[in-house]
Amino acid sequence: MSNLLVPRTDVSEFRKRYRWLALVAFIAFSIVLGRLFQLQVLRGADYAQIAHENVIRRVTLPTTRGIVRDSQGRVLASNRSSFNVLLVPGRVMPSARPSRRSRPGVEEHDSFTRIADTLRLNPDERQRLATRIRDACITDEDRSPCWRPILVREDLSRDIVAEIKQHAAEMTGASVVSQPVRYYPYKNQAAHLLGYTSEIDAETLAKYRPPGSDQLSSEERQKLNPLGYEPGDIVGATGVERSWESYLRGQRGWEKRVVDARGRYRTGPEADRLLDAPSRQEPLPGRDLRLTIDMELEQSVQRAMRAHVSGAIVVVDVRTGRLLALYSKPDFDPNDLAGGSGKDRIREAFGKLATDPLRPMLDKTMSGVFHPGSTFKPFSALAALEDKILSPFDKERCDGYLSFGRRIFRCAHVHGRVDMREALAESCNIYFYKLAESVGMDRIARIATEFGLGQKTGIGVNPEAAGRIPTRSWYALRYKGQFRIGFTLNTSIGQGATTVTPLQLALAYAALGNGGTVFSPQLVRAVETSDGSVVQDFPPRVRQKAKIAPENLARISDALYAVVNEDKGTAYPVRDRTLEVAGKTGTAQTGYVNPGTDDPKKAWYLSRDHAWFAAYSPAKAPEIAVVVLVEHGGSGPTVAAPIAMQVIKEYHRLAAARASKLAGSNAKKPDPKDAKDSKDSAGKRPPAPQPAGDSDPSPRDPPPPDPNGLPSWLSDPNDEPASEPVDEPRDEP
Amino acid sequence: MRSRRDQARFFGMPRDSFDWTLFLTASALAVIGVINLYSATSVARAALTDIYIQQVYWLVLGGILGAVVAVIDYRHYERLGYLLYGVGIIFLVLVFILGKDIRGSSRWIAIGSFGFQPSEFMKLFLIIALAKYLHDDPRTEARSLKDLIAPALLTAVPTLLVLKQPDLGTALIHLFIFATVCLLTRIRWQTITGIVVSTGILLPMMWTYVLKDYQKQRVTVFLNPEANLLGAGWHAHHARVAIGAGGWTGQGFMQGTQNQFLFLPDQHSDFPFAVFAEDWGFLGCFVLVSLYGFLVLWAIRIAATAKDRFGAVLAIGVGALIFWHAVFNLGMVTGILPVVGVTLPLFSAGGSSVLTIMLGIGLLMNVSMRRYWISPARTTSLLSRD
Repeated sequence: MSNLLVPRTDVSEFRKRYRWLALVAFIAFSIVLGRLFQLQVLRGADYAQIAHENVIRRVTLPTTRGIVRDSQGRVLASNRSSFNVLLVPGRVMPSARPSRRSRPGVEEHDSFTRIADTLRLNPDERQRLATRIRDACITDEDRSPCWRPILVREDLSRDIVAEIKQHAAEMTGASVVSQPVRYYPYKNQAAHLLGYTSEIDAETLAKYRPPGSDQLSSEERQKLNPLGYEPGDIVGATGVERSWESYLRGQRGWEKRVVDARGRYRTGPEADRLLDAPSRQEPLPGRDLRLTIDMELEQSVQRAMRAHVSGAIVVVDVRTGRLLALYSKPDFDPNDLAGGSGKDRIREAFGKLATDPLRPMLDKTMSGVFHPGSTFKPFSALAALEDKILSPFDKERCDGYLSFGRRIFRCAHVHGRVDMREALAESCNIYFYKLAESVGMDRIARIATEFGLGQKTGIGVNPEAAGRIPTRSWYALRYKGQFRIGFTLNTSIGQGATTVTPLQLALAYAALGNGGTVFSPQLVRAVETSDGSVVQDFPPRVRQKAKIAPENLARISDALYAVVNEDKGTAYPVRDRTLEVAGKTGTAQTGYVNPGTDDPKKAWYLSRDHAWFAAYSPAKAPEIAVVVLVEHGGSGPTVAAPIAMQVIKEYHRLAAARASKLAGSNAKKPDPKDAKDSKDSAGKRPPAPQPAGDSDPSPRDPPPPDPNGLPSWLSDPNDEPASEPVDEPRDEP
Repeated sequence: MRSRRDQARFFGMPRDSFDWTLFLTASALAVIGVINLYSATSVARAALTDIYIQQVYWLVLGGILGAVVAVIDYRHYERLGYLLYGVGIIFLVLVFILGKDIRGSSRWIAIGSFGFQPSEFMKLFLIIALAKYLHDDPRTEARSLKDLIAPALLTAVPTLLVLKQPDLGTALIHLFIFATVCLLTRIRWQTITGIVVSTGILLPMMWTYVLKDYQKQRVTVFLNPEANLLGAGWHAHHARVAIGAGGWTGQGFMQGTQNQFLFLPDQHSDFPFAVFAEDWGFLGCFVLVSLYGFLVLWAIRIAATAKDRFGAVLAIGVGALIFWHAVFNLGMVTGILPVVGVTLPLFSAGGSSVLTIMLGIGLLMNVSMRRYWISPARTTSLLSRD
């Protein structure tokens, strides 16, 4: 070809370069291929794993908290739905979005006004919410807070929820989510023992999820946090809710879902193809609890205490140590604290409870310690009998006072010559001073300890107080000065350093009634599954057997019978002929001394004695032991004993009704309505108007604040007038 | 006097000189690109689903225009070289007056409902202008800095205009095309050393005074993409995961989860290769990268067989255009280079980009088809011999 012969001088300058350029191109593409080999072949499996994890999200499946029932199967704590409203800022107020502003004429409209109207927001709230939405929508890119739902209202009423659902089309961006909230149908009743739930606090959470635990393997995390606590979880805060948390809680399940980069769930075959087994773990619902408490009795206990502002009542089964009623006054409504109505409401309720001088949050049955007063005397008497220090028939002379050195110890009356039985029945202090003188403090302490006084009972529900039974060595440690006989004398009548909890005293009296067996108090009868089958049943547990000679015990029982049933007995005036009761009254001095700063009215109240009555019934074959404490109630026989009588009567009525129903027809199902009606008629004799707030139809409403900043109970017209002499007889009547 | 055959070669398109290799390579890339776009946009926002159809329209239009460009003898382009360059510059200036603002930079001029991106076409005009300059200056001795001033100015004007938009990717392509063309000629060693040293000094100054914050951020992200997964590292990280997840053989067409579940941003414009890599794996990528490599080497071969300097520089320029686009994009997507918005030729969706590449391939075809042409002066003398 002729044209091949053409010399190409003009391009010769480039000739040598082509090879180099080709080499550079070859190397460059080879580097790219090498990199691809590295990414796709050498590390392909890693990246495939990352890509897989990108689209798989583990969604937790909620569990339900176990239900708490009383011994008759009445629901005391369950769950209800609280409806919360979430708004997506960018959808509620499209006009706030920058891209919307730059592109007018899109058909989105602000649904904000309509939503605000429906939620009944006041102008102030409306303004704040609008500001919040605008702040969120400063940018509206994919991951901007503009698209993150915000919580605006908690625990909406059902009609608002219905309205939102019905007009969903007009309320773009609003959604209603339901959230389980603990619900206590009996409100204030048994509040202390049930406790309440609250959101897990940071400190507790840190215990289960210490910093850096996210890096641990799932097994290690499981070990640290077996119940799977997460921020925002609801946990039991006090009472049974707290101590039985691990049973009630249940276990969350999870489900793998396929999500895209924007967090939207994808479904369908191509999404399911990506799910690897196991793709789901079912949640385990929490266990249900059956308590030993009888709610009907609990209600009558509460009714019996209506006339008094502060105190505690314990009713325990003498034969088993099962607690039939536990009541601490004043109480609170756990519904206010359990959430659902929003954090502000909870904080408000807590604030009110924390500042109340009567300490409604304190469970006085087991967390409060008090001087037992004369209810302690049977144990002093037992100490004398057991160690044969004196004969029960020896008589001591009571002149109404006894002087030791410069100190004079007083008695309420001049009892004359009394033996042990009379001294207990009439509650003569002088007899016990003389007894204590010969018996000594440590013997009394030994017997009291045999009966479980001054020690924690191990109920394990609320923080339990131990109380104290003093001994000589305790005084030796406590007082640098010389031991004084007066300490022993005070101990023998349940004063001085002697303190007990009402629960301890009830168990000790139960032991007096049952021949000396001190039971562990039992509050939870059984653990059940949600369909009612029993998982775990708790039999009665004996804590200790008091080593007491039966004849001595019988002697004391006889004396306690005389307290109620013989005409000189302190509780004789308030006895109920239909009831067989043995017990002991107590009027315990509080040792209050006005520091000079207390308001006179408050000082008067605080200086009043605690009224006690401890009893068991029926006297010959005891079934229950009852302890009534009316804090600063005054005299035991006149204040506490009638309450105890009422409780005992109610117990027997309930027991008889149940027995006859059981005998009458096994086929007929127990009708709760019947029981309620009869109970109501039985309880229709309230002796005095109730203190404010007790029977208020809506317990969420606070009692009206006192204009003087004083609690309303100080000016209660039904209380004895404040002008009563303060220097009333300080010892036992 | 010319033979009939010579005349036919001059004006027509002789069948035996049609460059089938070039045509088939480019067609293969275009077809794979459209198929990949179909996958890339299959589940994304509804508005994106017809992008692959648009891409077909642009490819057809580009093919027609490329054919026209290929048929007209490239010596006409040589003649009109500076004029075309001037028109390109005017359009670049017009961008500032008529430009549409997209994501903080104005690169587009609206013509009817189409957005038209003059900076894309400017790349071709720059190549033509540089080719004309080297054609008109046929010296063979090594060039000094002084001799490079004129072509450097030719490059600097559009580069600065593009930087001003701001469009760092296109500016870099301009610079690298210029550098490639320069390397074709002989340059004094002292000059090369001087340029390298001064670049070393200028780059830090560029960093401080010229680069925008988002551009700086891209470079920092490139250096450590995993540091900020939800922020700027998102693109780089997820592109890399998508590629890696492809493995040897890929997850299958339209099965890549990174793409299907929206973890890849800009999957149709800057990151279609990540979609391809996830769907087809290393084997698919090997074929694709080899095709690009072959196309570039073929362009060099066309340059080597070109009969005059203009044709040679034109072919090298277009080859450099394809090469740098491919290398920048693949390097960016695989994480070898920072994220710079450079499209992958025939793979990325976009009218201006597709048209530019198709016209460039038309130019390559033009040069290739005329490799047997004999310069008129020599022919006459040769013919006169017998």
